[in-house]
Amino acid sequence: MSKSLNLVLLLAGLCVSAPAQAQDADAGQKIFKKCKACHAVGDGARNKVGPHLNGIFGRVAGGGADYKYSKAMVQAGDDGLIWDVDTLAAYLEKPKAYIKGTKMSFAGLRKDKDVANVTAYLQSFSMTSSKPEAEPSGSSQSSDEVVAVATTEPVSQLMRATHGQYHLGRIALPEEILAWDIDVRPDGMGLPDGRGNVARGGELYDEQCAVCHGAFGEGEGRWPVLAGGQGTLKDERPEKTIGSYWPYLSTVFDYVHRAMPFGNAQSLSNDDVYALTAYLLYLNDIVSDEEFELSKENFNAIRLPNEGNFVADSRPDELHYTAQIEPCMQDCKPQPAEVIMRARVLDVTPQGQEGETTGAIE
Amino acid sequence: MSEFKRNTSDPDTSRRGFLRGGALAVGGAVGGMAAALSARAMAGEPSELITQVQEWNQIPGDGVDAAPYGVPSEFEADVVRRSVPWLTADPISSVNFTPLHALDGIITPNGLCFERHHGGVAQIAPADHRLMIHGLVDNPLVFTMEDLQRFPRENRMYFLECAANSGMEWRGAQLNGCQFTHGMIHNVMYTGVPLKLLLQEAGVKPNAAWLLAEGADASAMTRSIPLEKALDDCLVAFKMNGEALRPEQGYPVRLVVPGWEGNMWIKWLRRIEIGDQPWHQREETSKYTDLLANGQARRFTWEMDVKSVITNPSPQAPIAHGRGHAVLSGLAWSGHGRVKRVDVSIDGGRNWQTAQLDPMRMPKSLRRFYHAFEWDGTELYLQSRAIDEFGHVQPTKTELRSARGENSIYHNNGIQTWQVRGSGEVENVEIS
Repeated sequence: MSKSLNLVLLLAGLCVSAPAQAQDADAGQKIFKKCKACHAVGDGARNKVGPHLNGIFGRVAGGGADYKYSKAMVQAGDDGLIWDVDTLAAYLEKPKAYIKGTKMSFAGLRKDKDVANVTAYLQSFSMTSSKPEAEPSGSSQSSDEVVAVATTEPVSQLMRATHGQYHLGRIALPEEILAWDIDVRPDGMGLPDGRGNVARGGELYDEQCAVCHGAFGEGEGRWPVLAGGQGTLKDERPEKTIGSYWPYLSTVFDYVHRAMPFGNAQSLSNDDVYALTAYLLYLNDIVSDEEFELSKENFNAIRLPNEGNFVADSRPDELHYTAQIEPCMQDCKPQPAEVIMRARVLDVTPQGQEGETTGAIE
Repeated sequence: MSEFKRNTSDPDTSRRGFLRGGALAVGGAVGGMAAALSARAMAGEPSELITQVQEWNQIPGDGVDAAPYGVPSEFEADVVRRSVPWLTADPISSVNFTPLHALDGIITPNGLCFERHHGGVAQIAPADHRLMIHGLVDNPLVFTMEDLQRFPRENRMYFLECAANSGMEWRGAQLNGCQFTHGMIHNVMYTGVPLKLLLQEAGVKPNAAWLLAEGADASAMTRSIPLEKALDDCLVAFKMNGEALRPEQGYPVRLVVPGWEGNMWIKWLRRIEIGDQPWHQREETSKYTDLLANGQARRFTWEMDVKSVITNPSPQAPIAHGRGHAVLSGLAWSGHGRVKRVDVSIDGGRNWQTAQLDPMRMPKSLRRFYHAFEWDGTELYLQSRAIDEFGHVQPTKTELRSARGENSIYHNNGIQTWQVRGSGEVENVEIS
């Protein structure tokens, strides 16, 4: 059983997304007495003359309760009818008009308010098997109060979605999107409010970063080098750093924010990340003033020197792919093959030979 | 549990163990026990393996449930993933390699699929996992694992190759074994939901062009993926080779991006944001961009190009049987589609013959090839050259270096050469 099924709820709280009209599940419980002869709902509810109504919201019409529905009801389901606040209200108002051929002999509820209240009541038994007695005693009965206990899912989970083709999943809440959506783009989209200067960044860096990345961004061991290397990209051993290689400053902010410090990711405040980013600019000689303060406001004004050197994938244009020559099969080389290079690392776990190895994975 | 013990107690994960294993295998080739036994049989002496009742002929073995989750034979203990510790700063952000030399067919067993993590292996209870889709959509959605498993699902076999596979070989032959030169690849049957269906469920807005996929691990791995690819053949997978994803492969759910570099196959997939531009994340700017000799760097080099390697014989799998009938075998693949043909050479590329291709030919999946030949005991230079259905021919390393230089790190799909000596030993070499 998933956590969401363990909800203990104040019944009235289930009406969060219902339309403007105020509903009262408590009043709905009274209205439901009219239905009780044929329908059961709540803990242990079984089919009677009519199907049980647990989980009715989101159920396809004519399905879900192991009940022998009318052909008309099954057809309605096949045609796409799904029970939600609106469809159930329409049905309860004039059952025989809404589903011609329904087995339900009930004439209908005349008052809109009664319909709203009884649907609110029924909704409290959808997406949860919680019992009516789970209602905390002595609590407020006001219709807009929500008490959710022992769950990690918000109450809106209970509201059945009508999106898409399969109506699966639920609507993500703004707070949830905010919590996870921390990515930043080169155009500045996603930058949070905040600010931090080089000096503060230097303090943070010495405390949390220097142990791996070195006091000046030179990198300890095989940990990434962060600074220097400008002008080395055409060298035999290029040094790819923020200053020499990375195209966008947004990447620095984004990455430090999401994944650093290694072993304690997402522990830095927005201000800390601005300060560290400012300090990394300083280590790379892109800013020179220790008082320089980086913020959401001036972030986009900073360009990294190597931005212009990134190009699109041009592998398909390489001669060995464009030539389209039928590969040679015979006498393709004038001379017998001679070894010009051997595997230099015969022992794949060398000790003390770091200087000889090449091309580490990054 | 027993599998865990098998891995940790495996002597071959140590350096000495590796060398010992190699020496034993080579010893067999140069006149060890196998040759001696075979000589006795030739001389007409009956084999005691046949004439004597063996222990396993007489005494019953374990009953059922001795290993509720089965493990390989104890005699296969050296068939394990291996790492090269000096490559990376810390095993939490590192890689190990699939033992290609010890496998046949095209399916990689789940426990042997190479690992690449940037923040260790996240351990996530499926009930606690959520996948969010948001951004340029009509309805931002959150899915539980139960939700995902209610969508229509498909089964498809794909290779996953790290962009840096063979990356250590750009400047020349370096690592002695196809496990290390080519082992950042695996081939798995995935069960999952087409990403297209999840995106349609949320309703993608007309100006959407890109998505950002994010993992739930401590590296919060992110990659920008063009929407066109997402709608084409990407899967959100929860099973591999029929069983749940292994934790190190992204349990409970990962992204499958067929034919494209492994880093994009976000493991522990928790979030997909839809946008109108790429994000230029760390793993698509600082890393996974290909530096060229002129100082420029290619970005968004997604497809894995046509490639092949002879897995047997290879440095870890020397020829042990001496001269006579021999079969070489290997793997070929292309991120563009199906492998159409593989040529092999035993003389270092002077003359080629077309190999026998195994009939299993799915697009963007490994393809197995074989080539039988009579070995007269002379030195060989083994090479393989794959051609895909679009006519891409696997280039030589020389061709790649002349086009790109030696600092690209990624996308080295050059032709590999193995030197076979008269002893049957094999070495990674480069030839004229």
